[in-house]
Formats: sequence, structure tokens, C-alpha cells
Amino acid sequence: MILSLASLSKTFGTTKAVDDVSLTIPEGEFLTIVGPSGSGKSTLVRLLAGLETPSGGDLFLREARITDTPANKRPTAMVFQSLALFDHRSVGQNIEFAMKMKGVPALARRARAMELLQLVRLPAEYYSRSVTQCSGGERQRVALARAFASDPEILFFDEPLSAIDYRLRKTLEVELKELHQRTGRTFVYITHSLEEAMVMSDRIAIMQDGRIIQTGTPAQIYGAPANRFVASFMGEVNILTVENKGDGQAAFVEIGQPIAKPGGAYAMVRPEALAQGAGDISAQLTVTQRLMLGSRTQVHLSSETGAILISEIPGTAPDLLIGSTHSFSFATQDIAWMET
Amino acid sequence: MDGDMNTRSTPGRWFAAPVAVFMMLCFAAPILIVTWYSLMPSRTFGLTGDLTLENYRSAFTDGYGRPLMWSLMGAATTTVVTAILAWPTAVILHRYAGKWASVTSALIALPIFISESVRLFGMSVFLMPRGGILAGTLNAVFGIQIGSIMNTWAAAQFGMIYIHLPFMLFPLLLGISLIPADRIEAARDLGANRWQSFREIELPLAAPGLMIGALLTFVLCLGANAEAAILGGRAVTVITAAIEQRFNYAQDWPMGAALTVIVIAVTALIVLPVLSRLDLNKLTGR
Amino acid sequence: MQGRHTGALRALWIVAILAFLYIPIISVLLASMANTRYMRFPHKVWTLDAYREAIASFTTWQIHSISFWIAFFVVIFAVILGTLGAVAFARFDWRGRSLFQRLLVLPIFFPQPVLGLALLLSLNAVGLSPSWKTAILAHLVWIVPIVTLIISIRFFGYDPTQEEAARDLGANNWQVIREVTLPALWPGIFSGGLFAFLLSWSNLPLSIYTSGPDTPLPVWLFTRTATNYSPLVPSVAVIGTLISACLVISFALIVLAIRGLQRRRA
Repeated sequence: MILSLASLSKTFGTTKAVDDVSLTIPEGEFLTIVGPSGSGKSTLVRLLAGLETPSGGDLFLREARITDTPANKRPTAMVFQSLALFDHRSVGQNIEFAMKMKGVPALARRARAMELLQLVRLPAEYYSRSVTQCSGGERQRVALARAFASDPEILFFDEPLSAIDYRLRKTLEVELKELHQRTGRTFVYITHSLEEAMVMSDRIAIMQDGRIIQTGTPAQIYGAPANRFVASFMGEVNILTVENKGDGQAAFVEIGQPIAKPGGAYAMVRPEALAQGAGDISAQLTVTQRLMLGSRTQVHLSSETGAILISEIPGTAPDLLIGSTHSFSFATQDIAWMET
Repeated sequence: MDGDMNTRSTPGRWFAAPVAVFMMLCFAAPILIVTWYSLMPSRTFGLTGDLTLENYRSAFTDGYGRPLMWSLMGAATTTVVTAILAWPTAVILHRYAGKWASVTSALIALPIFISESVRLFGMSVFLMPRGGILAGTLNAVFGIQIGSIMNTWAAAQFGMIYIHLPFMLFPLLLGISLIPADRIEAARDLGANRWQSFREIELPLAAPGLMIGALLTFVLCLGANAEAAILGGRAVTVITAAIEQRFNYAQDWPMGAALTVIVIAVTALIVLPVLSRLDLNKLTGR
Repeated sequence: MQGRHTGALRALWIVAILAFLYIPIISVLLASMANTRYMRFPHKVWTLDAYREAIASFTTWQIHSISFWIAFFVVIFAVILGTLGAVAFARFDWRGRSLFQRLLVLPIFFPQPVLGLALLLSLNAVGLSPSWKTAILAHLVWIVPIVTLIISIRFFGYDPTQEEAARDLGANNWQVIREVTLPALWPGIFSGGLFAFLLSWSNLPLSIYTSGPDTPLPVWLFTRTATNYSPLVPSVAVIGTLISACLVISFALIVLAIRGLQRRRA
């Protein structure tokens, strides 16, 4: 375990930004902490980097307690949301900053900076360029190289890709994942996008109201979300409520269909699992809206109770016209059960 | 948008005209007149004499070097000391004072609007020997007899620091507020200690504010003479006092004008290079 | 990282700075409550005699009225010139703007007594004798740039498309200025006027050389302090400072009242 969090807490006034978080991070892992804004994920990573002092709990790097170690003495580096590049310094000076602080001689610094430019795929001539002349993607790479330059044991990322346009973000996500694989360092990444987390991470921790409510591999989170909050965080999914009618009988409230053996109080059904035709659980649903998603078509379906369900169908689904009613169904094995 | 701006390029000039004319008449013209006067023969009162550089030669040979040096040294010392006092004050006000920040800033600004003759008079009654506020209180309460720095260059220097501290503080406060907090955090995170973070990040990022404060303080001190007159007694003669003597007592206007031009030249040498590098739009329009 | 001690040290530092700035002002107050010819603190008798004497003196009223009229005209001209200047400084992008901006701030970065002496010499050269009227000109050279900057700051936060919107909605040039531009600038003009008044009222280095035989308050205090001490000096200093505070407060109240009336009418 490279990093262990023991009941870490941080309160600002009366708000508990981070509330009793315990977590262990194995060496070389790409861990992503996912949560909506205000969930405390940013505060958590600032605690880990030493930019905030915890109100309670402890933090261990390997076996050493580093709870009170200031940021400049921790062998970690952070890529900030704003990137926090030093605009009054060149690309090279930004990258060399940590080495300069340690007193590394200029020649050695320069050599290392050149390696790092190559690592983040920036041409060598960027060395003497001003950071203010760099594009958004180039600035990302400079920030990354700057963090790597201190040869950190752990790299923290505080939503660095949030302000980047979609296509560039996708490219950088893949590059970051490759960089992780190539360098073997421990990455702790913060994001509000579960999609981004799924792409890159070995393991995901989901945060809500200052607590970690679920940790697991992307597959585990995808297949078995811990509760409706996690499920809804995955984007557009159908969440159905189970109503127990006594004497062993139960039914889905939204579509009025019985269910013989419910596995929990709520059922998550992905849009692609809700398909036309007969199946384990089926219902008559009326199309209220249809949206082209490129290779698929998304349709919004209204049940007799007025609940709206979402289905995604490959192709253009020419027969699903607005106002028409069709039979839809899903298989019991496609249900992810949740208690809360 | 650019084309739009260009079509509006004319009104700006018209709005600038009244101020420009006023400044020509009351700022540029006097400087020119003084310069012309400085080229007149000694002890003449007209502007029609033969041009001569005699006054400038006298300025460098007849003992005017001392007042000028005193003013330059006083200005430099004041600039350095006020910067050292103002930096921590500005940092505390900007980062730590929280709800107290505006009240404290207002309290610091308030004395600027009380005439410096009032404040320097206050400083003199505070520092006065024997019956002064400080000496009198110490004597009455603790029975301690103390000397006084009144009527020495130290008192004049002290007064200059006192009067000019706010002029350093407020531009510096603006400069400090230009430092984004996350840049300091990034520096700390990358291993910089407090001193390194100050030298590498905070000082260069706050530089525009510091430069303005230093410029303002230095230039105001260069001409300052009330401090020396009220607190310094006859211990020091500052350049302004020397000029005034030429004008009033010696009735040697061309000599006074030459000294004035020298001070203006020193000022221009310091102010113009810095001012031409500052982006005024960025500073006022943050 | 931030102990309780650092917090206390910071507070102590600020208190020390404030003490440094206020000790002379408090000293003036203390000195004014004596009636002896020579300063002997602590006073044997604490008295307000000096204030009675100051109020009874004709000179007190004379120097205050000179200071007031100088400041009054300085405010009026500085606000007019400063508003126009700010429009040129910040509202429009024109060819000479950058040069105009740099030249305009020069008088701020200029030793005031030297400016005063240069003006005095120039007045003599053109045959004008210095008086309270020439002091107004001297004050304006220094104060107009400051007022322009204060109003300009307002302008930088101002979206000029508002004016286009108003014009699009049928306003003519004058209506645009009255309905859109001036209301947006109003806080800047107001604080600019306030600064102009206070800076003029308290100015010593320009007045001393340019006001001639008319002695404004700071000059009177300066010459009295530099020559001989009397308990009249601190009491007049206190009275002068209080009067400027009262004038500023009543000015602010009048302006607020007018604004309130306008808003009610609108």
C-alpha cells in the first residue's frame, strides 16, 4: 500500500467537506475518485497533496505518517484544475521548477526537461516558448511534465480535463492511461465524469456528501452500482421501484408488472437492455420522443402509470414513431439490484 | 468587432482633448518654461537673456550635490523600508484578514486624507524632547528620561517612511491580489519552501503592483520637504528646500530652475522606463 | 501548518502598523487639550480653551474658507475633466490612446513640490500673481489624473454593448449618455469627486508654492509648526480635519438623498 487514509476528515466551519474517509491505495494503481460538485472530492485530493490540513484522521505514505507533512515535503505532485502554470516563466522553466527547488544543476535540469517534453509528446523547441503561447492541450502537457519532473511517488489530478473540448479530452484520456502504464506511477484522479473514470481507471471510488459510498473496478461499478445515486451517476438509466404487496407478491411500480423474485428494493435497467419484443418482464409503452444518437436511436417511452423509460436501439428504428405504442421487455439477468 | 472599433476611433480623441489641453497648459508648459529659465544667465528675471549652461555647471560644483544626494538617499531608503513593511501587511490583508480586510484597509487609507502638515505636526509633538507625548508619558509613568531624535536626519527619514507607507501599501495590495492562490499552492506542491515560493512566484507575479508602489513612493519622496522642515530641523537640507532658497531668498531664478530641471530629469529617468513597460489597462481593468 | 501563534502574530503586526499610522493623529488630539505656551506632556490642566480661542479667531475662518473654495472648484473641474478623460482613457479604442494613458498618469508620478515650484516660476514668467485661484490649477494637475483613473476603473467593468442596445431600442446620442453611460459611471464619478475634495483639502506641497498670499489650512499649519509652537496649532488641525469629515459626510448624504428622490420619481 503506497497511501493509506485512516478516517480522514475535513470540516470548514460547520460543513463536513470530507467525512471519515478510509481508503488504501496500492502501488501503481490508477484510482479515480468520482463525485458531483460539492461532494468533497477536491478537498480530499487537497488533503492528500498536503494543501489542506485534516481536521481528523491520519494519512500514511507506505508506513510513514505524513498527516502533518507540508505539501513541499511530500513526494507527491498535483496537476491542478486550472493547471496553475507559471505564466511568467517559459515551458522549460515550468517543467524544471521542482528540480530547481531541490538545487539540481542547470544542465541536468535541462536534460531531464527534454526527456519530459518527449514523454508528454511536446516538440523540443517548446522548451524556450512562453506558456502563454501554448494551446489548451499543450498547456495540459506542460502541467503534466511539470508534475512528473519532481519524480513523484504519487500524482494527483484535480479535474484537469474538465475545461477541454470533447475530442481533445478523449485523446488526452487515452494518453494519460498510456502514461500511467508506461511509468508505473500511482495516479489519483479526480473527476465528476464517471465516463472518464471508466475509460482510465484500475479502480473507482464514488463520493457523495464527503463520504466514499462505493469502490470497485469499473466493471464492478458498472455491473453492480451500490445504490440509486451511483446508478444515476452513470448517465441515463432506468431505475424501477419494487413494491412488496405481501404474501410473496411484488411488482414494478413504474410499469405495473409483477416480479417473482426481486433482488432488492430498486432495479436498474440500462437503456440498451430495454428492447422491443417479448422477454422476461414486458410492458406496453408509448413513444413520446425519439433522438438520433448516430449508430443508435434513443426513444423515450411512457408507461400506463405515466413513468418515462428510456430505450436505446441500434439503427434508426423506423417503426418507433412518436405516439405509437409497442411491446418492450427486458431480461431478469440484465437487472442490477439495489437496496437504497 | 475590430471593424466596429475602428469606426469609433474618432470620438476618443475628442473626449481626450479637454484633459490634454489642460495638461499642456498646466503641466507641459511649466516644465518647458522652467527648462528655458534654467538656460538664462544667473540672477536674471526675464526670459530673453543669452542661453547659457552656467547654472548647470554651478549645480554640480557649488555644493548642491549634498541636498540632491540627501533626497535621493532618503527616497531610496523610504522605498525599501516601506516595501518591507507593506509586503507582510498586504499579504495579511489579502489572504488572512477575511471580514476585517475592508475595515483595516479603510483605517490605513484614512490618514492619507488628513493633511501631512497635521500628521507631521502630530509626529513632532509625539517625538518632542522632554515635554513630548512619548518622552512626557515615559517620564510621568515610569520615571524614564529619554533623548529624542527630533531635529536629526533620522527624524526626517522616519517621517518620510510614516507619510509614504500608504502609497506603497495600496499599489502593493493590488499587486498581491494579482497572484492566483493556486500558483503558490502549485509551487509548494512542487517542493518550494516559503522563501523559494516568495522569490520565484509571489514576487514576480506581484511585481507590477510593487513597481507602481515603489515608483510612487520614490518620486513623492524625491520632492518631499515637509518632513525635513518639521522633523529634521536644520539638520538636513533637501533638494526642494535648496530650490526654494534659490527662488525666494537668493532671488536667483535661473539657478533654482536648473536644480528643478535636474530633479525632473532624475524623475523622468526613473519613471518613464518603468511606466512604458506597465500595462495600465490590465492593472486598472483587472 | 497555521498555528494559533501565527494568527496572533499577524493580528499583532496589523495593530502595530495601525498604531504607527495613528499615533501622530492621536498626539495632535492630546496636544490640543492644553493651554500652555510650551508643550509639557502630560498636561497639568486639561482644557478646551485652545478650541474656544481658535473658533473665536478670524484667521481660523479665513484659512478654512480659502481651503473650502479651492477644494470646491477643484472637485467641479476635476469631475468634468476626469469624466471626459475616462471616456477617452477606457471607453474608446483610438489611435493615440496608449500614449494618452501613459502621459496622463505622469503628473501622479511627479514630485509635487517640484511641480509647485515650476508652476510658481511659470506664473511669474507670464505675469500672473499666485493666489487661491492659481492653487486650483496646481491641484488639478495632480488630481485630474487620479480622478480619471478612478472613473476609468468603473469603465473597464462596463459593457459597451449596452449603449448599442439602447441605440437599437431608439435612444439618441444624448439619451444614451443620460440613460446608460452616466448611471453606470455614477459610482466612479462620486468617489472621484470625494477623492478630489479630500486630496485638495489636505494638500500641502502644491498649495505652499502656488497660493501666494492666500493661505489655505495645510499651509498655515505648516508655517506655524515650522516656526513656533502654540496650542492653537493642534486645535486648528483638529477643527480642520473634523470640518473636512463633516463636509464629506454631508456631501455623501445629499448625493444619496438626490439619488433616492430620482429613483422614487423613476
